[in-house]
Amino acid sequence: MEVSFGITGKDFVLFASDTSAARSIVRMKSNEDKQKVIGKHLVMAYSGEPGDTVQFAEYVERNLRLYQIRNHLPLRPSSAASWTRNQLATSLRSRKPYSVNLLLGGFDPTNTTPELYWIDYLGTLGVVPYAAHGYGAYFALSTMDRWHKPDMNLEEGLDLLRKCVDELEKRFIVNLGEFTVRVADKDGVRQVNLKSGEAVVPV
Amino acid sequence: MSRRYDSRTTIFSPEGRLYQVEYALESISHAGTVVGILAPGPSATPFVSAPEVSDAMAVDSEGAAASSSTPAAGSSTPAQSAAAKKKEEEAKAEREKKYPGPQRAGIVLAAEKKVTSKLLEKEKGSSEKLFLVNGNVISGVAGYNADANSLVSYARNAAQSHLSTYNEDMPVEQLVQKVCDLKQGYTQFGGLRPFGVSFLFAGHDPHHAFQLYASDPSGNYSGWKATCIGANNSTAQSLLRQDYRDDIGLDESLGLALKVLSKTMDSTTLDSEKLELSTLTIDEAGRPVAHIFKPAEIDALLEKEGLKKAPEETSA
Amino acid sequence: MSIMELNGGSCVAMVGKGCVAIACDLRLGNQALTIACNHEKVFAATERTYYGLPGLASDTITVRDKLRQRVNLYAMKEERTIEPETFAHLVSSTLYERRFGPYFIEPVIAGINVKDEPFIAAMDLIGCLNFAKDFVVSGTASEKLFGMAESLWEPDLEAEDLFETISQTLLNAVDRDAYSGWGAVVWVIEKDKVTKRWLKARMD
Repeated sequence: MEVSFGITGKDFVLFASDTSAARSIVRMKSNEDKQKVIGKHLVMAYSGEPGDTVQFAEYVERNLRLYQIRNHLPLRPSSAASWTRNQLATSLRSRKPYSVNLLLGGFDPTNTTPELYWIDYLGTLGVVPYAAHGYGAYFALSTMDRWHKPDMNLEEGLDLLRKCVDELEKRFIVNLGEFTVRVADKDGVRQVNLKSGEAVVPV
Repeated sequence: MSRRYDSRTTIFSPEGRLYQVEYALESISHAGTVVGILAPGPSATPFVSAPEVSDAMAVDSEGAAASSSTPAAGSSTPAQSAAAKKKEEEAKAEREKKYPGPQRAGIVLAAEKKVTSKLLEKEKGSSEKLFLVNGNVISGVAGYNADANSLVSYARNAAQSHLSTYNEDMPVEQLVQKVCDLKQGYTQFGGLRPFGVSFLFAGHDPHHAFQLYASDPSGNYSGWKATCIGANNSTAQSLLRQDYRDDIGLDESLGLALKVLSKTMDSTTLDSEKLELSTLTIDEAGRPVAHIFKPAEIDALLEKEGLKKAPEETSA
Repeated sequence: MSIMELNGGSCVAMVGKGCVAIACDLRLGNQALTIACNHEKVFAATERTYYGLPGLASDTITVRDKLRQRVNLYAMKEERTIEPETFAHLVSSTLYERRFGPYFIEPVIAGINVKDEPFIAAMDLIGCLNFAKDFVVSGTASEKLFGMAESLWEPDLEAEDLFETISQTLLNAVDRDAYSGWGAVVWVIEKDKVTKRWLKARMD
């Protein structure tokens, strides 16, 4: 029932994840943050089997941090995505594979381009201009196909995101509530309010 | 007295020395010389993310910009008398005539071969001193060749493993660290003798541009602008100290490397039978290009530098 | 539903006169949902040898990385580039290493050897080699590709004609397959140059 979206624009990447933590017919929590900031300009939105998701996301976050501490160098988005994919591919043929789907992406300061990677629990990696995981993909991808432009600015990107979220509210049987939205660009990562587009200052 | 502490790597002597490691270092001082010179070139600007890095995940306060391996561009100019200045200008003009610009950036590795014989298959046999470790790293070895082959194989596998996992060329310093960690292990546990090899690693990566590292059997390594390992390395080192400049170009470095080798080698004139030569540069797309010279190319370069052996005067 | 049909995708390779061609579609899907239209399945082993890996996309990337590692080590140790036929055996043994837990891909290989002779080969997911003389096909549209190739291919096609033939073979075959398509790429490998062309395909 989880949904995550990723949209790239001219010089940014937008991530949106739903915020409900539910089991069967009960919603236990409605402000769950299903994204991790794993680098100065790098964000990872995760979804999948509860438990596996947070475990794997923290594993990735901490190992990328360890790499940076050891080598005094951050991993660029493409290398971070390759390493993460490798972990999932190795886990796939282990005793119990991680069942986690990811949208990993951010801004690469070396060549000033936004990058977005669609990674699933099998270790499939696709380099895409926009993507979605979960049931939301069936509703939102067509909307993104219609309205996405490669040189969108942030306002247009947020507009597209609003269209996708509205589509879900209208047609998806489950009410997903609020979305966590983050922007990764040359200045780093910040959380924004979807309705107003303004930055959210973390509590 | 030191006889008691010789035989095990895993024992310190009363003076706090590891004799096996020192003996390994001693054996390398009889091996063929390898010279490495880093020519940073006019536009040495390595990749550094925003200078005011305040990384959410940074542990060093300078974040990703911390680096000490790129030499500063431009030479220092202390107060000089007019005569000294004029001399310097003349030398500069002469250099520019001999090595016309634009100056290329890169690293030169030059080595003296110890195993020379007319019976050796020159073209077909593999290198003795200089090895390609990865697309972006060349290494020069001094010491036991068998140990060297084993370590080069290890380094190659490590570099490919990194490529497989991260889909990028292994950064040079990480590769050097991996090899050195292995060498250090053999000085501390297992009871096996250390590797009798010193390395020069010449490499390029997008993070720190061109880098030159020297490592020894103890597992220690350091970054250099120009250095030398193997026989007569102190002579070579002082020559390099005299003649190296921070703004040296690649072609001049080739000449300097050959000059240094001609002074340290047994014979005063050089030829391609006794030398191995390589350069590491980048192409226009920024990709590293490793080039190990063929004997014919070495001869041509020696000719150009005026260091070639005079034809057929020597006796066997 | 078979694991080989989860992501979709197809490849074909053909022999011409002093040249070879290899082509693949560009779709990456998750069963019926299309995720990406830029997912190439053909990679270069050396300057003159190319290979395609249709099947489970995760294993495509894993096997590509493994083969790149092995070809690089071969090049450094042997100090020469690997021949297409040797490379085919390398792929075969890499797959057979996982005989009882295989990689879900069925490779096709195309290259020109040191004597400038064209070479193609294909294998199944555990590395059983097939050295065809005319064409090899693989992927979710393989049956359709067999039919198209059998009718269109003829021996001794020049590079331009080979390009046309392989393009029509691929395009028409994937148009009949729901899991392949969304764009196509063709590589034509001759003894002195390699040309990569994108095809205008039905984007559905």
